[in-house]
Amino acid sequence: MKNLYIMGSADSGKTAMAVGLALKFKQEGRKVAYFKPVGTSAAAGKADEDAILMKELLTMEASLEVIVPTMASPFYLSRGNRSAEMLETIKKAYQEVSRNTDLVIIDSAIFPYIMGTIGLDAPSLALELNASALYLINAKNDYSLDQVIFFNQYIQYKGVPVLGNIFTHVPRPIQAKIEGVYKPLLDNLGFRTLGIVPKVRELSAPSVAQVYELLGGELLTGEQNLDLLVEDIMVGAMTIESALGYMRRSNNKIFIIGGDRADMALAALETSTSAIILTGGLYPDVKVISRAIEKGVPVLLVHYDTYTAIEKLSELSGRITANNKESISKAVENAERYCDWKGILNTLCIE
Amino acid sequence: MPDLTPFFNVRSVAIIGASNKPGKIGNVIVKNVIESGFAGKIFPINPKETVIEGLTCYSSVSQAPDKIDLAVICVPAKFCPDVMDECGKTGTKYAVVITAGFKEVGPEGLELEKKLLFICKKYGIYMVGPNCVGIMDTHIPLNTSFAAGFPLKGDIAFISQSGAMLVSIMDWSRSIGLGFSRVISLGNKADLNEADFIAALADDPLTKVILCYIEDVHNGRYFLDVASQAAKKKPVIVLKSGTSQAGAQAASSHTGALAGNDLAYETAFTHAGILRAHTMTELFDLATCFSYQPLPKGDRVAIVTNAGGPGIVASDAIENAGLTMARFEKDTLDALRANLPAVANIYNPVDVIGDAGADRYAFALEAVIKDPHVDSAVVLVCPTTVTDPVSIALKIIELHEKYPDKPILTAYMGGVALAEGVKILNQAKIPVFTFPESAIQSIAGMVNYVRRADTLVGGEEILFDDINPNKVKAVFYDVIRDRRSVLLGSEAAAVAEAYGISTAPVRLAISPDEAVALAESTGYPVVLKVASPKIMHKTDVGGVKIGLNSAEEVRNGFIEIMENVQRYLPDVVPYGIEVSKMMPKGIELIVGMTRDMQFGPLIAFGLGGIYVNLLKDVSFRLAKGITHTEIAAMIEETKASTLLRGYRGDKPADMMSIIDMVARAAKLILDFEEISELDINPVFAYPDGYSALDIKITIKL
Repeated sequence: MKNLYIMGSADSGKTAMAVGLALKFKQEGRKVAYFKPVGTSAAAGKADEDAILMKELLTMEASLEVIVPTMASPFYLSRGNRSAEMLETIKKAYQEVSRNTDLVIIDSAIFPYIMGTIGLDAPSLALELNASALYLINAKNDYSLDQVIFFNQYIQYKGVPVLGNIFTHVPRPIQAKIEGVYKPLLDNLGFRTLGIVPKVRELSAPSVAQVYELLGGELLTGEQNLDLLVEDIMVGAMTIESALGYMRRSNNKIFIIGGDRADMALAALETSTSAIILTGGLYPDVKVISRAIEKGVPVLLVHYDTYTAIEKLSELSGRITANNKESISKAVENAERYCDWKGILNTLCIE
Repeated sequence: MPDLTPFFNVRSVAIIGASNKPGKIGNVIVKNVIESGFAGKIFPINPKETVIEGLTCYSSVSQAPDKIDLAVICVPAKFCPDVMDECGKTGTKYAVVITAGFKEVGPEGLELEKKLLFICKKYGIYMVGPNCVGIMDTHIPLNTSFAAGFPLKGDIAFISQSGAMLVSIMDWSRSIGLGFSRVISLGNKADLNEADFIAALADDPLTKVILCYIEDVHNGRYFLDVASQAAKKKPVIVLKSGTSQAGAQAASSHTGALAGNDLAYETAFTHAGILRAHTMTELFDLATCFSYQPLPKGDRVAIVTNAGGPGIVASDAIENAGLTMARFEKDTLDALRANLPAVANIYNPVDVIGDAGADRYAFALEAVIKDPHVDSAVVLVCPTTVTDPVSIALKIIELHEKYPDKPILTAYMGGVALAEGVKILNQAKIPVFTFPESAIQSIAGMVNYVRRADTLVGGEEILFDDINPNKVKAVFYDVIRDRRSVLLGSEAAAVAEAYGISTAPVRLAISPDEAVALAESTGYPVVLKVASPKIMHKTDVGGVKIGLNSAEEVRNGFIEIMENVQRYLPDVVPYGIEVSKMMPKGIELIVGMTRDMQFGPLIAFGLGGIYVNLLKDVSFRLAKGITHTEIAAMIEETKASTLLRGYRGDKPADMMSIIDMVARAAKLILDFEEISELDINPVFAYPDGYSALDIKITIKL
């Protein structure tokens, strides 16, 4: 079997892992292809971003429509049950992508259960495409382990071999707990832990450009600094004296504040800030803009309220693009240093 | 430090942008220069004119027939850089830029201002402004402003960040006969700022007192150095606006100043010996008193009044202001008793009663003013039918001349009936107020200045030979590598220990088993605290367990804390749990700091525990140059000091060790600029030493 199906929830670092493993295997002299049977697009008519990235990284000849043959919109059922037709398309596309390759890395939709209603969820497709599953988990607490085991067992029950699990975006404080508690528990149930990948900002932190894309609004200054990374979000809703304590604790933050609070915006600019989001459509005092220009911090004005801005930001997560060399090399480094990539490769090639 | 004395000795002035059109600023300034009686050469510059206000006009600076001492520039903003460049080429070294349209209007204006400043630096030109009203000098005399009035000659210098404030004050000052020496409108402070002028005015023999109205300080450290030097020579009185939150916001949208924390200003001003006025009235009351009267030698005030009520009001004000009611010596009392009516009060406040004429006032005032136990006197006058305000005023003036070394202030409590007397007193430079409180406040200001001047001798800098900065660097290195700003409790304790601050031993456990092992080795009872840089107030999220006495309790405590934190803050992943020895109860203190963007680190001391924010019993000092005496004084300012001395039969705490600890904390924050916050709360003070229980440190990445 030469097919590796990477599964996991949104924000579990599937793309980063696909990039890392694919490039690593390529370095090892393998011909690697990338396939994403069910894609999602940021906007109607736009291609799946992961597909664009991987096509470029692996210099694949197949067209984007072949690499991502179907799309699952949140209203896909309105188009009727096209299960058989879609499966046919997927299989055909897979044939084309996998031709003349040693390995195919298959990426799942944002959640493994998507299109389960019509039998095209990730485990079902893994079975159809004869792939082994690698389930990724971004562990937050003990419930996360429950989730891994639940999915592992479901995948096995479906008849798909589970290669193992990789813990991703692991904050340093819980590395020891994963090693000492979670890994033995998984071992006891017969699941291999194939990697514990520490959290790195290059892969987990979104850029100001992404924030801008997500929130819309007017960029008042800082066009040239949109590549700054966002590691924290802070809302300014207190007096300067109280807020300074919080501001100093938070690094590379986006700071959200009403446009009329010049004092707070100026204070935030004196601390580590990647961008200032002004809400309520209130244009700031010129002094804020002047200082932001001096500091090179983008200022974004949105025409809705602070709560809405925060709601929208909850969808924010890190994303890799082909021209971001730093994050790509981090992805490879993670696969190399923290994952049992040899084990994965051997299992795939022997079986 | 720039030499600004040439500003006070101008012999030739060019007005670039001079105009013939009445009402234009370029015209007003030329007129003002002429009308101020300026005896030097005046060169109006305007390529389109030949004569302005009867003076030959030149097409450019280079065409002026003589060297230009001072260039006053009022051409439109976009032409300013070229004009400045020409000034530079012709050797002019001092300039005032009146023109607005720079930093205050936004990014383009800021660019233009930078360009202008660059040209000034290139040629070594000292520039006032831009966006200012100009400067006035009653001694040259020279008025380069576009203000409506020119002040009277006097010995008060006034530096103002607000042009409008300056113009209003100048107009008002004439109505009460208050005179000024030099008046400077700072504008955007692109080049010269308040500190430069304070330094220059400190050495100006024609200035007795320096007044400042500022919205922000340009460079805190420099300002402090300069102001403390100046305050040793003459009073520096500052009205810093933007004290309230609304004020701070207004200030920030007014001149682009990030209005610093008001507390920092208060502390810094005290440190430098600057008198802080909180209202415009206070600013000018103080200015008048310093300008008109000698400095009091002490805080003992005598009151002479013709009515009981005002005497009591004045006595209350004296007590509230921290001054002392003078107690007369026997000779004074005997004289008063012998010469005043029997119903009069001969003790302070001396009541000469309602039917007192000028002679009785004069007798009483002379009796108290020559009493060696009196440092200053306040005369209160109420308008009764027999009161003769003019004669009383003349007597006071006479006595002030006879006893010129003790300040005499007056409160003429009335309006129409007393107006003539008020006028005479003003002319004779006897400060006259309507109500006694302002008079007393002014004396308090003068006394504070004298007291502060006495203590500004500067104590010994504190040196330590047992601190280990490398240990601190090592801890910070690890924290920064972890991309954190906040130190864990165990790391913060290590930092404090490196600086000789004794802490309760604290270790980090990442599993219940480890916590138990640590507890066993420390010895019970222990305290468990969640360790996470994301959590500011641990108690609020159920992140603290105290008084745990067994392995079982520690194990459960560990798990419960983790569960609590998960419930309150689901996205926070704690680093583990810190296990520390439970220390015996002592007096709870807090030692902390805040780093002000302008003035650098401030060290705080006060009553600690969880009620810090409620009780606010905290005093502050600038960490730089702090002395043992000053630490003792800051402790003394708090209520905590009463507890430390032993309250209601408690044993007194080890004060020396606490002073030493504050000094060490101050040293730590001075040595490491990257520390943006330090909070040691609580510190338990014991009869023999102390223990720092919880230390929070935040650093800048």
